[in-house]
Amino acid sequence: MRRYETIYILRPNLSENEISTIIDNTTAILTSNGGAIIQLDKWGMRKLAYEIKKETLGYYVYCDYATNPAEGAEMERKFRIDDAVLKYMTIKLNDDISSDEVTTAISDIETRKAARSAALSNDDDDTADNDGDDDTETDSDDE
Amino acid sequence: MPAPKKRTFQRARVCRYCTTDKDQIIDYKDTKQLRYFISERGKIMPRRISGTCATHQRQLCEAIKRARQIALLPYSGVNLR
Repeated sequence: MRRYETIYILRPNLSENEISTIIDNTTAILTSNGGAIIQLDKWGMRKLAYEIKKETLGYYVYCDYATNPAEGAEMERKFRIDDAVLKYMTIKLNDDISSDEVTTAISDIETRKAARSAALSNDDDDTADNDGDDDTETDSDDE
Repeated sequence: MPAPKKRTFQRARVCRYCTTDKDQIIDYKDTKQLRYFISERGKIMPRRISGTCATHQRQLCEAIKRARQIALLPYSGVNLR
């Protein structure tokens, strides 16, 4: 199996349901023949750097996965047919990836995500500490 | 005294990725970082201005071109904000 990452842009006027069905369909294709999803990230609505099919906004979906070339080609074929997909780009990250490496990659991403959220919550604590004493300012009316 | 050139950009003398940001990976998804290396017109900065070394300039070039493909960065023009 090979490791790829794909970014695809969906039309901005789709409903939540339509978006999730497209994502589900693509993951189904990718995992159909022993493939595995390593990371699936919805970046959400973003402004496009240039117009694509008359659209200036797009819903970005990022997917990191391990699969065989045939499934990847099938996914791209579906994208080309589907009018809701504005554009897609697939990049090969690794020529050969074993299932062990897939699990380590998944856990690696999980730990990184946990570390980031921990750092974020720490920041929140700091700000919460800071606004403990803000009533020290006294209002004096000078006449 | 002649007015300073229109560019406020400080000319870097050393490669950013060889010195300060050594552990940074050049990633086409990180547009915030890549924007530093493109001009207002969306062109890739030459090495003589950005100061990057050949290896990292090559990687940057690749990353910017990928970002352009998927509409994260403009190919040309478009007043960047």
